[in-house]
Amino acid sequence: MLVDRGFEDTNEPVTEEPDQSIYDELGELTKYVEMMTRTIGEMEIPVASTSDQLPDATAHLGELAKITEEGTHKVMTITEDMTENRERLKTLVQNMAGASPEDLVKHITTITMMLDADEARITNITVALGFQDIVAQRVAKLVTVLEEVQHKLLKLVVVFGLQHKKGQPKKEGRGYEMLHQLEASKKTALKQDFVDDVLAEFGFN
Amino acid sequence: MLDTSMKVLVVNDMSTMRRIVKNVLKQIGYSDIAEAENGQDALTKLKAGGFGLVVSDWNMPVMPGIELLRNVRGDANLKSLPFLMVTAEAQKENIIEAVQAGVSNYVVKPFTAEALQEKLEKIFAKK
Repeated sequence: MLVDRGFEDTNEPVTEEPDQSIYDELGELTKYVEMMTRTIGEMEIPVASTSDQLPDATAHLGELAKITEEGTHKVMTITEDMTENRERLKTLVQNMAGASPEDLVKHITTITMMLDADEARITNITVALGFQDIVAQRVAKLVTVLEEVQHKLLKLVVVFGLQHKKGQPKKEGRGYEMLHQLEASKKTALKQDFVDDVLAEFGFN
Repeated sequence: MLDTSMKVLVVNDMSTMRRIVKNVLKQIGYSDIAEAENGQDALTKLKAGGFGLVVSDWNMPVMPGIELLRNVRGDANLKSLPFLMVTAEAQKENIIEAVQAGVSNYVVKPFTAEALQEKLEKIFAKK
């Protein structure tokens, strides 16, 4: 038994010899702290790369919107040109009635040229639609990135034992709302009939 | 028979979608068509006057279509303006919300020229 000899007037023992089990527990705790420090060190790389990947993925998604917009405009410009061409063709054909043989030849030549131009436009539409392929490829890459990020996040959850306390996780925020809308749109896309049925309930015919 | 001489305001944040709607409206016979990028922009243009029809998207930044609709119905000069919602939002709660806000009709994207024309005819048949 250890007694603090500095306090002669005290009869009570100040410090007792620690129990061996405390040393054991401290040893265990030290090992645990070391292990956690090592684990945190190991997690630093995936966390850092995840935080790099997410903004990159966001930027790529923004780029996708631009690509589809440009592609659609390109196709629309060509179809608008074709619509104008069709109107001119209609007028030319109408003018053919009662035209002289010389004028008829001219008209036929012009019409042939216009039809050739439309053929080239159709080819250009097909080529312009190639943006779908670019988009699909980028989406596939982004899916891979997101899967990787998801894997890393799950690893974090497992390592640090994060879990929901009780019940369902809180489903709130703009992100969750958007996700909910995306999920719902999978079920209701292309459903004008469904909309019409709901409208009919409110007296819309 | 539709009166295609009226001025139409197409409201959508996507330039491609505005162009698609404009082209379909042209195909139907409308020629006087203006554009707005969002509800706020649309409201400013509508308040300036001269419009006979609004064709609006739901999801837009600054001011969504549903808020534009409420503003239109709340404005003494615009409250009877025909308002067609053209949107990808086809959930029952969205449709009910639009009906309660006073929408004239509702078209789901992607739509056909025939569907748009049919809805417009129904809107003006009621008037």
